[in-house]
Amino acid sequence: MPAMSKTTDYLKPILLRLGSMSLAITLLTVLALASVIGTVLLQNQDQADYLQQFGPIWYWVFRSLGLFDMYHTWWFLSLLGFLMLSLSVCLYRNVPRFLKEMRGSKVALSDSAMKHMKHSRHWDLKGQSAENVLSVAKERLKEWRIREEQRGDVSYIRADKGKYHKWGYILVHSAMLVVLTGGWISVQFGFRGNMQVPVGSQESEISFLKSTSVAYKEMPFEVHCNDFSIDFYPNGMPKEFKSNLTIIDHGKEVIKDRDIIVNEPLYYKGVRIYQASFGDGGSNIHLKLLKLDGSGEIDSAEAHVYTSYKDKTNGVTLELTDFRPHNVENMAEIGDPKDFQDLGPSVDFIMRGPGLKPVKIRSFMNAFELNGDNRGSFIQVSFSGDTKDFQSVALGLDMSDPQEWKLLQRFLIHLADDNVKNKQKANMQAFKAAMDDVFGKGKRPDNFQAMAMRVLQAAQVIPRLPWPYIPVLDDYDQKYYTGLQLAKDPGMNVVWTGSALLVMGLCIMLYVSHRKLWLIVRRKGNDLSISFVGLSNRNQLNFEHEFNEILSSMNDDMQQLEKGDAV
Amino acid sequence: MTAITESNGLWESMYQGRAAFVRYWAYIGLILGAVGLAVFGGDGYTENGYIFQLVGQDGVMWLGTGALLGAGLAIGASTLRPEMVNGYIPKTMVSWLDGAALMIALMGLLTLLEPTAAQVSYKDQSNLFAGHVIMTMNVLFLFSAICYIAYLFAPESFIGSMATAAAWGGVYAGGSSLLLRWYESYLFLGGEIGHAPVSNIYEVFILLFCIVTIIYLQWEKRYEAKAMGAFVMALVAAGVFFGIWLDSVGQAEIKPLVPALQSYWMKIHVPMNFVGYGSFAVACGAGMAYLTRMWLEARNSNMVRVFPSLEQLDQLAYKSVAVGFPAFTLATILGAAWAAEAWGGYWSWDPKETWALIVWLVYGAYLHVRISHGWHGKTLAWWTVIAFLVTVFCFLGVNMYLSGLHSYGRLS
Ligand code: HEM
Repeated sequence: MPAMSKTTDYLKPILLRLGSMSLAITLLTVLALASVIGTVLLQNQDQADYLQQFGPIWYWVFRSLGLFDMYHTWWFLSLLGFLMLSLSVCLYRNVPRFLKEMRGSKVALSDSAMKHMKHSRHWDLKGQSAENVLSVAKERLKEWRIREEQRGDVSYIRADKGKYHKWGYILVHSAMLVVLTGGWISVQFGFRGNMQVPVGSQESEISFLKSTSVAYKEMPFEVHCNDFSIDFYPNGMPKEFKSNLTIIDHGKEVIKDRDIIVNEPLYYKGVRIYQASFGDGGSNIHLKLLKLDGSGEIDSAEAHVYTSYKDKTNGVTLELTDFRPHNVENMAEIGDPKDFQDLGPSVDFIMRGPGLKPVKIRSFMNAFELNGDNRGSFIQVSFSGDTKDFQSVALGLDMSDPQEWKLLQRFLIHLADDNVKNKQKANMQAFKAAMDDVFGKGKRPDNFQAMAMRVLQAAQVIPRLPWPYIPVLDDYDQKYYTGLQLAKDPGMNVVWTGSALLVMGLCIMLYVSHRKLWLIVRRKGNDLSISFVGLSNRNQLNFEHEFNEILSSMNDDMQQLEKGDAV
Repeated sequence: MTAITESNGLWESMYQGRAAFVRYWAYIGLILGAVGLAVFGGDGYTENGYIFQLVGQDGVMWLGTGALLGAGLAIGASTLRPEMVNGYIPKTMVSWLDGAALMIALMGLLTLLEPTAAQVSYKDQSNLFAGHVIMTMNVLFLFSAICYIAYLFAPESFIGSMATAAAWGGVYAGGSSLLLRWYESYLFLGGEIGHAPVSNIYEVFILLFCIVTIIYLQWEKRYEAKAMGAFVMALVAAGVFFGIWLDSVGQAEIKPLVPALQSYWMKIHVPMNFVGYGSFAVACGAGMAYLTRMWLEARNSNMVRVFPSLEQLDQLAYKSVAVGFPAFTLATILGAAWAAEAWGGYWSWDPKETWALIVWLVYGAYLHVRISHGWHGKTLAWWTVIAFLVTVFCFLGVNMYLSGLHSYGRLS
């Protein structure tokens, strides 16, 4: 059949190439280099960011090569596929050969092979029987696996240790195939995505990134979040995130009130549910609106996070975007040891209105204290809408105290009354009058000096604010959402099996060396010519040691025989 | 541990025959006792409580019983079959176990020098004692490096022994200082933040020095490769300076663990990784020694005589990689297992993971290149040096330059 042999003729060199070690080395190196790209170029970011970072030309070049989601591009996956192919061919070519070699290798050793042995020794003995020598040698090598063969005048003893070394090769390389197959199963049949469940609600859909867009998937059950809590270390760093979950399957509560924390997931129907993140689940926020129209009134507003509050009188809306019960910040000066402090609750919102530049504001509930001094309330303002651009604005006043607000109003009014040139004196008088207005004539609260400082500072800042009012966080009813990660991974166990084989195989391959010794006894009339040679495929240093040890005892034996003593 | 002991007759007998055999099984019993305590004893294993159980009444019971049972069985068995005492494994393992026991004892002694819990605060950790032990380690390692380098120029056995002794001293100081830090982490904030001393880059660096030095000293003992020490210990010395810098920028403080790191996996994954990194560092040292010897040979220098042969250095580099590669493979797998347990996927192409893969591929290619003919000697020596640079990037560079989930080591 000429056609058939033709195809094998074509295939053979290809198989040879595919199963070659140089291809293996090339593949490993190329994979390593390709992987570098994916770590240097941040993966799966916002496309707009990439465009801005690289400019239009490079952006399109990178994008068409799939470098923004590199590990899932056709070419990267082909590389892995190619590695699998190469491994298979390599196994296909070598395993039968190695198995055969392990089962029975030749005992006899050709002269040319003997010349190539690095470790060898020669003796000539006169008037000795070969049997004697052989039995002495066998006694010396009793811990080795010994086989014998006789070819004419020549007797061979072959001794092996660590013969199953080649199993290491088989295990390691098939393990790689198993691991890669497991990975493929994970990608094909598994999923991983996120779910945000506000406390008291339930959810059954996960979202995940598919190449560069978001995709959704329905779970075969619902997750109800009963509770979410954070534990803190005494220094304010988070210690534990804990969710209490109930799993509902077709209306039935199959798992009830189970706690999960980071590192301790929940398992149901092949899906693992992990504590991954948390955030605000629509807390109820109560705001004080300190009006800046000179009336000194304080309005109030109520809204949930993720909703808006609209003031009908002036058309200004507040869109609440986030609430945080704690704001742990490092208060130390640059270079000093870190000093973490909790600045207390804050609320984020975006203020929009006719004639106003939209602005993002973070408003704190508590006044800022430094070394026990009340330095007044502050807010953070960002005109870009990005929290990175937040700038702190000290309001001066402690806004949680309505009397201070009143004091400021009175102060401003009294200041306007006066037309005195001396500014300091005017301030003084206006403040005195304001004090009398608020606290009664001549009465002063204990800390009125500090209060004076705050009012003076506020008088500089507050009248300049462009808004109709200052929203200050007054009260809240907090509600978290818990961020869960749900994953199903049917390939995982395949990967673990492969990994175990890999480690076992590596240990065999690297620590068990196949050591071979030959004792060749050649009869020349009455004399014997004896050669002792050895070879190891790994760990030459140890083998040298081992060989020399056997050699020296062998040498002793031979000298004894020479002297005629029976051993 | 054995380098010092071999010269002495009494010591020698400690590592042979029945004494070593019984001690070995006592240690095994002790370890099984500790495992038993975790699985069956008290309230079972908890991240924070276990360590207290170990040193409490339960621990003494379980460990003591284990050790006594192990020793008893060993005495019985060796009486019945005296030839059993000549096993290979007990003889090699027992010196390691003795070393570990000595380190724990040293730590116990050093705790006596610690201030009381009332005298330390989280914000001011300056009067903790481990810092002094670490400084001692730094001095010993630097001194050892200097001696090893001096040995190249003046190969006196006295200088050589001093280098070796200082290196061992450094290992003990480093090991016990880490244990001491573990103890110290329970001293403040009501003991709530206690954790194993492998949680930040400063601590793992100390671990790394000790591992590199131990592996090198094994090679020195077995293969008389003293000249290699100049290169390996020079790497350690460079690390010591880096550690001092870390301390000076406040990275040496004991800090609480973020929730993601509160897992027993951390205690397995991180040290295993550093066995890998450490061996690769030793391989790099052997590679550098190889290249230096070649350079010296080309100039007919006399110094060549101090060096092991090229063949030997080549083999030592390979042996180091052969220790590191399986350890690193296992560490990566353990990391994957942890990732699977903590965040739902065993592989996320996170930069640290990817760089671990890169390192693994580079050394995998090294092993292949070695077997495929022709590539020996010089090229491979360069390979070990460059591959180690890749390794350094993996465990330092990634934390400094790339973002990802492994932010525990981030330098701020
Ligand atoms: C990710 C993939 C691979 C890994 C982790 C791997 C690992 C190893 C290791 C550790 C060794 C032993 C080196 C030593 O004993 O010093 C080895 C040997 C070998 N590898 Fe691979 N290998 C991989 C891929 C391949 C591929 C794709 C091929 C074939 C194309 C291949 C062919 C060989 C051969 C022929 C040997 C020598 C076996 C012997 O004679 O003992 N390997 N491999």
